[in-house]
Amino acid sequence: MNLQVIYCNHQTSSLDVRERLAFTGDEQLAAAYSQLREVFPGSEAVVLSTCNRVELYTAQENDGAAPTQEELAGFLSSFHGVPLEDFLGDLLLQSGPDAVGHLFRVCSSVDSMVLGEPQIVSQVKQAYRLAEQNAACGPLTNALFQGAIRVSKRVRSETRLSEGRVSIASVAVGDFARGIFDRFDDKTVLVIGAGEMAEETLQYLKADGVREVLVVNRSLDRAEALAQKWGGRGYGMDQLGELLARADVVVAATGSDRPIVDLEMFTRARSGRGDRPVFVLDLGAPRDVDPAVAGVDENVFLYDVDDLQETCQRNRSQRSGEIEQALAIIDEESDRFMQDVYHRATGPIVKRLREQWSEVSRAELERLRGKLSHLHDDDMNQIEQSLSRIVNKLLHPPLEALKDEARDGTPHGLLEALRRLFHIRD
Amino acid sequence: MADIAIFCFLASYTVAFALELLRLKKPGRLGVLAGSVFLAAGFLAHTLFLWNKGRSAELPPLLSSSQDWILVLAWLVIGLYLFLVCCDRRLSIGVFLLPLVLVLVGASYLLEDRPNQLLEPDVRARNGWAMLHVSSLALGSAGVLSGIVLSLMYLLQHRRLRHKSSTSPGLRLPSLERLSRMNWWSVVISVPLLTVGMGTGLVLLLSGSAAPGELTLGDPVVIINGLSWLGLAGLFGWMLLRPRATGKQVAWRTLLACGLLLVTVVGLSVLTSSGRVSSRHASHSAQVSERGLIATGGHR
Repeated sequence: MNLQVIYCNHQTSSLDVRERLAFTGDEQLAAAYSQLREVFPGSEAVVLSTCNRVELYTAQENDGAAPTQEELAGFLSSFHGVPLEDFLGDLLLQSGPDAVGHLFRVCSSVDSMVLGEPQIVSQVKQAYRLAEQNAACGPLTNALFQGAIRVSKRVRSETRLSEGRVSIASVAVGDFARGIFDRFDDKTVLVIGAGEMAEETLQYLKADGVREVLVVNRSLDRAEALAQKWGGRGYGMDQLGELLARADVVVAATGSDRPIVDLEMFTRARSGRGDRPVFVLDLGAPRDVDPAVAGVDENVFLYDVDDLQETCQRNRSQRSGEIEQALAIIDEESDRFMQDVYHRATGPIVKRLREQWSEVSRAELERLRGKLSHLHDDDMNQIEQSLSRIVNKLLHPPLEALKDEARDGTPHGLLEALRRLFHIRD
Repeated sequence: MADIAIFCFLASYTVAFALELLRLKKPGRLGVLAGSVFLAAGFLAHTLFLWNKGRSAELPPLLSSSQDWILVLAWLVIGLYLFLVCCDRRLSIGVFLLPLVLVLVGASYLLEDRPNQLLEPDVRARNGWAMLHVSSLALGSAGVLSGIVLSLMYLLQHRRLRHKSSTSPGLRLPSLERLSRMNWWSVVISVPLLTVGMGTGLVLLLSGSAAPGELTLGDPVVIINGLSWLGLAGLFGWMLLRPRATGKQVAWRTLLACGLLLVTVVGLSVLTSSGRVSSRHASHSAQVSERGLIATGGHR
């Protein structure tokens, strides 16, 4: 069994790199899975792409089919058209138990920029669902991702990781927007995008009492649906420029692969509203707002996800106790998962051995039945049970040895020995 | 109680300031509590000191001497600080206000502390005008000090936000919106108060409270302070005419105008008290109006 993940995240690379490697939208992901199947035919694959990370999980039942780090990086490079040297140093590879532990940490939000944030679970679920839809999953990735979702539930229920400020929006508003504005009940908020992140941000801002909510989205229906839910108004993308001029707080969280708010549009919008401060939060990766927007005037305060690193890091250091508790659970679950995987690898041999020995005992029983025809059925049943017990008792020591060996990895040596000793064929 | 000296509250304020600085590095409730205790103790000693001085001079502290006038100004600033701390204990205002208070209290050592023994009966009758003169100047100056502090806080907060730096747990500042509003009000309130102070001073001068030939409009202190006041009045006018000016522009201009005024007031007070600048404000004439002017460092 092989399992590996190649990834870059908010800790290893800047947003400049991550946004170039990000997979945006279902269509691009479908194309990626199609290409992955061609390049790595023997591999299961799941792509996890969020604003904070781009991760490619691959798994193979057969040891020989594992792609190397260079091959996986080469895939990312050719798919996105990004030169390898631009990001190779930012990529990390983990395999086997380390890869399992990594996904468990990611899904439990221990690895997130904002510790305990709940969005990552749905992002992992979404990534897994899309991989399934594109027929990229297999038994190993199924077990891995289902395990990760289960572990994240356990971490959230047994630790206090999910308490406090647990969204990027809450951190950004708490640390920066509150430094600009005294109150929000006289402010207009413009949300660009109607996805989960946009809704999460709206939920937080609404709780702070924002006066007016404007939602802009490519799909007007989705914009109106979200706006209605939070007491605002929905608009199509064609009205973005006009709405920008009205907003005090702009939150951009779309899956667009290029900036939606460019310098020209923003400058035009800004010219109509004097020098009133505007807080712009860009949660997109790739970014939705051109970074040059920050230079339009000194009262434009633009932040992207990487700008929140410092605050999030302080938040982490204040909650080291909860992190330790969560990591202990993750370690325990990773060990258990790996044991299950290793144990599953011994399954075919164990099954074959049992079948082979049961076949021998059954053949002997039939022979005995022919020779000792005077015996009653009760007597034969007793003999049958005795033979079965003998088989089980004889099988017990080798199977226990196999189980013990499987705790530390797939017991290839022992499996080979059993195959040769008992002439087991696949 | 009668033995309370300037050093008592100067020391308390110094310790409170040191604790504020410590809070920047190591925020904690204990530091806040200890700082508040020292500040309250200093404020109590400060109040008692001014009370004693006023009683011994048989005049309100604002009129008794130039030293007492500047100590009243420091007292007002501390009172404002205590009020703001009570409103929001987490705000880091002390680190900005306390150095100014220490400068004022420290500068008071260099000012004359002679009581107004030359007060004449006919001038006592004018105490109301004199009191209005010095109190409006003191309150206006407190507003100027607030303007300096608020502008500094605004510029610091603006810089943090533009540089995307995280909030330091030990340095909590109000929002730009609030700082901008408070800054605007500090200027809008202090300029009229200073103008009233200047105007009443002029009334006292012209009504003959000052001895003829002793105090003129050509006095260097009158001229310099007048120019500083003009600078601040210019800022006031600009703010009223440019309501859409950015908070940063207002903060910079306030800092410059108020800073200039503060340096002028304190600097001239020290220089005239030490006799390095020849001015009628330096001498304790028989006129209460002039004593008022001396006490204010010559605001006219």
